[in-house]
Amino acid sequence: MTEFIQLLISGLATGSIYALAAIGFTLLWQASQTINFAQGEFVMLPAFFVLAGMHFLGLGFGPAILLALVASLLILGLTFKRVIIDPLLPHGVLPVVIATIALGILMKESVKQFYSAEAQPFPALFSERTITVLGAVVSVQDIAVLLISLSAVGLLQFFLTGTKTGRCMQATAQNPAVAEILGVNVKRMILYTFLINAALALLASVLISPIYLAKFNNGETLGLIAFIAAIVGGFNQIRGAIAGGLLIGVIDNLAAAYVSAQYRSAIPLILLIIIILIRPQGLLGKAEGRTV
Amino acid sequence: MNPVLSVKGVSKHFGGLKAVDDVTFEVRRGEILGLIGPNGSGKSTLFNCILGQLPASGGKVEVDGRDVAGLRPCDLNLLGVGRTFQMLQVFPEMTVLENIILAGQEHKGTMFSRLFGKPDAGLTDEAKRMIEFFRLTHQTNEKAGSLSYGQQKLLDAAMAFMAGPKLVLLDEPAGGVNLTMLAHLKERLKAFNEERGATFVVIEHNMEFVMSLCTRIIVLANGRIIAEGEPEAVRNDPQVIEAYLGG
Repeated sequence: MTEFIQLLISGLATGSIYALAAIGFTLLWQASQTINFAQGEFVMLPAFFVLAGMHFLGLGFGPAILLALVASLLILGLTFKRVIIDPLLPHGVLPVVIATIALGILMKESVKQFYSAEAQPFPALFSERTITVLGAVVSVQDIAVLLISLSAVGLLQFFLTGTKTGRCMQATAQNPAVAEILGVNVKRMILYTFLINAALALLASVLISPIYLAKFNNGETLGLIAFIAAIVGGFNQIRGAIAGGLLIGVIDNLAAAYVSAQYRSAIPLILLIIIILIRPQGLLGKAEGRTV
Repeated sequence: MNPVLSVKGVSKHFGGLKAVDDVTFEVRRGEILGLIGPNGSGKSTLFNCILGQLPASGGKVEVDGRDVAGLRPCDLNLLGVGRTFQMLQVFPEMTVLENIILAGQEHKGTMFSRLFGKPDAGLTDEAKRMIEFFRLTHQTNEKAGSLSYGQQKLLDAAMAFMAGPKLVLLDEPAGGVNLTMLAHLKERLKAFNEERGATFVVIEHNMEFVMSLCTRIIVLANGRIIAEGEPEAVRNDPQVIEAYLGG
């Protein structure tokens, strides 16, 4: 039982990081029908912004994170939207998909080329101490990661439902033409969505890199798992992405311990296939009709 | 007095097709102008050009004497121009009240309150009056997507009026609405026009609805204005009869 609790909590912790990346998929899809196949690399890259700030500019960890936030907002938010999505989106979803796959490769190879091909140690945000909860030994880091991710998600939900701008972003997602007619600056709302995605990517990056180390190809697994999490939970619902992320984190951990560590990475894919077969709109998603 | 809206020689060509061809007219303050014509005569395209949703191929649109070329629909909304759509256009996942508040909020508040202000934007009372005006009180907290078609049309109109616009363009408000609801909608539109001096331009297929609602009517056929005048005069115009029956 104690082992189960340990696995559960550490699964929830990694799952909450997957959820952050999965929410990004959902937000971009809702706001602009963009599927960002570079999402995994979006989570990989900010850790290198932090490391570059520390190693090349001699910044402390905190200031380096701030620098990475600015860089993420500018590059993964603003530039990504202006240079890649805006020109391509009018031509349909497929060009965007191809372009983001290419972008992912570019980001990955650039980090490998210009920074390092080796996994880089990343400073831990929290002590590596453990505490005992209900007899189970749990790391402080896991609990802190879980709390921070969930607070970020809570804050985001509050922003979307509890502020005027959030309401306008929802309106933009539900019906952009009408929102525009009603005076909502739709282009700006979509930009906000991209900025939020960039900030979430930074957060996920800073939380996950101390656990898995910062490596140029981290995005491959992360992007895939976040994508699966978003589909499993329901691509058009933020709470679906959260549920999907947490679920995969936990199942992954439990399966590795109780079923087979060898087949660990197959588990999310099996889950994906099952969900697509029996509930294609995702656990919490709503079926969407689209006119072509 | 300046006309609220003046459309000067507006054209819209799609390749060789002249969907709107050199159309000129003015909308006077406080009137309900009907814009009718057979299917494909260019009515909705004209609306889209006026609101900047489609770039016009030529001509000029002025709101209160101000050239609005290049303005986006959201800018026009701030200038006091609203519209409703032919197809139903509400935010299905929000309640009736939330829909209406959203429709009014861009006109209120400071930069800070626009970014982080409460979603009700201090508009709840006004929104409730608007809901009552359109007789949707019982549906206030229902999701807009769950309303009947006719009720959604009323909500759509209420949303267009919420910003207190000078001018509202209504695209087929009567389409698909049952007779009782239709009479109700017409009566509400007239009341709104009289009580608040709102100006409307109405595109409509339903002749009876247009004839009894509008004070003046413009008839489009093949992208051009073929007749203009009081409802009775237009009804008996041989060119109009030709366009509707012969076309």
